[in-house]
Amino acid sequence: MKTTSLYSTSGKLWKSIALTLPMFLLTFVFITGGKPDFSSSSAIFSFVVTFIFFNTLFFLMLYTGKTDRFRAIGFIAMALFFALVFIVNLVKMRGSMSFSNENLLSCEIPFCHIVTTMIIIPIVLTKSIIFPGSILTGFASIASMLVIVIGISLALGRGFCSWGCFYGGWDDGTSRILRRPVIKNVNPNWRWFSFAFLLIIALSAAITLTPTYCSWFCPFKTVTEYEKITNFDTLMKTIVFVSLFLSLVIILPVLTRKRIQCGTFCPMGALMSFTNKINPFEVTIDKEKCNDCKKCIRTCPTFSMVEPGLSKGRPEITCMKCGKCIDECSQNAISYHIRGTPSGKAFTAARTLFLYPAFTLLVVFAGGNIQYGIVLLIRFFSTGSFM
Amino acid sequence: MHSSEGFLLGLSTGAVCLATCGPVLIPYLLAESNAVVKNFLEVGLFLSGRLVAYVLTGVITGIAGTLFLQNHVFQGFVPGIIDVILSLSLLAYAFFRFRHVCPGETSNQLAGRLGLHWPEAIPLLGGFASGLNFCPPFILAIAQASASGNIAGSVIYFVAFFAGTSLYFIPLPFIGFFRRKQSLTIIGKFAAIIAGLYFLYKGIFIIFH
Repeated sequence: MKTTSLYSTSGKLWKSIALTLPMFLLTFVFITGGKPDFSSSSAIFSFVVTFIFFNTLFFLMLYTGKTDRFRAIGFIAMALFFALVFIVNLVKMRGSMSFSNENLLSCEIPFCHIVTTMIIIPIVLTKSIIFPGSILTGFASIASMLVIVIGISLALGRGFCSWGCFYGGWDDGTSRILRRPVIKNVNPNWRWFSFAFLLIIALSAAITLTPTYCSWFCPFKTVTEYEKITNFDTLMKTIVFVSLFLSLVIILPVLTRKRIQCGTFCPMGALMSFTNKINPFEVTIDKEKCNDCKKCIRTCPTFSMVEPGLSKGRPEITCMKCGKCIDECSQNAISYHIRGTPSGKAFTAARTLFLYPAFTLLVVFAGGNIQYGIVLLIRFFSTGSFM
Repeated sequence: MHSSEGFLLGLSTGAVCLATCGPVLIPYLLAESNAVVKNFLEVGLFLSGRLVAYVLTGVITGIAGTLFLQNHVFQGFVPGIIDVILSLSLLAYAFFRFRHVCPGETSNQLAGRLGLHWPEAIPLLGGFASGLNFCPPFILAIAQASASGNIAGSVIYFVAFFAGTSLYFIPLPFIGFFRRKQSLTIIGKFAAIIAGLYFLYKGIFIIFH
């Protein structure tokens, strides 16, 4: 039996609208980048749709008291639109999704947050950055991404993986395709694989002075950019990352209803798990309210809810703060909590204070891409081409 | 003169050695979850294996100079075979449960007489194989040691090089402070599998290239 909602905004129309008003301003600023472009009807249309889309999601989170249900819509949309916009931009700039040795030598490769896991030890050892990207200039420069990653880690910990990562929406989406899992009993110890992978990736990058994960293992190369196939080596790399994409991002998440890539493989996720210990927000379990139904264990998409965690009153270090367990708990035993504040109180304040930065992060990463993606789709349906 | 040069070379390039040996030693230390003191013994075994490999290389360098590096057997086959052996031992360690045996139980066998038992032999073997890994500092050391022109000088150079690089291994036993974390054992086993597969690929690639 579902108990009444924990949150004082639930079912309260005016209170939810009032709390959504600041998000109006934030979404306006971050979608437009501070420079509104209303030069064409498609630009105005895409802005209006994106603006309404995000503010509706935020309002519904407050009004219904459900977090994950509406977060997932924005998060999945971000992943799909990011891939569309990224690929179209690449084809415009380079003529294809692949990059050549010339692109590598001229340091034109956009820096993605996952590379952070591989550059730390080489920076210490050689005082140089082993990634062929631009440090300060251009699209996705190394400095800007590092500042963003460090800032988000301190603010939200591994919440980044469910609110800001422009790849995570892929397996978040595929893990929701089936209503029931085909493979039910996945050993939760697989969540530690990503930590082992992080260790080996960091060391192998230090030995070879190349970003080994990007070169060999990143499944998302399938939907972003990849090395031009010119020899056996590059052919092998392509086979590896396409296979990983199909297995870890499509097939296994569909069959298990778990975020297999994010929860068991991504080295960046493992690194960010450590920051879960040093940021203000956490998910806690009220042991007195918990009736031990274990629904949260079955529901958690990243194997972060395990029995020892239930008895300790908190999920594992790998928790991505997606809010799925909170939505599913029929006893309202799980909630967001701010460290240092009394537990079991001020649920609405803790959740709302978490939602503002987390949702803003989603808007920052998704807003521009969704808006431009809509322009591209309008162009495609009216002219038959994205260009 | 030679010893100080070797020591300084080891000191300046030891971090790279640690990164090279890390994929072998760190998964083992994590998976075993021993106390700090026991970890010092394990790292000591690993370093002993490396020392044997370095002394051996010192002898060969003293006899043949850098000539053996140009030999295709040394260039391709030996490092490849070593990597394959290393990978198989790591994979075996990751997939099979080795019972820690009481020394008295195996006193009649060779391992018992040597006081070695699986998985304790892993760091020794790993140290030996990693020691023969032709990483850039190691090749540089061979080139420098060959200048001595005699076996003793070359061996001294490598022993000093070993001492310089070994300082970087001192922090590793302190992994033992986290031994109560059961997850580290699992992470160590997973890491051993990944490292095993990495060395297997590298070994096969070297042999057939």
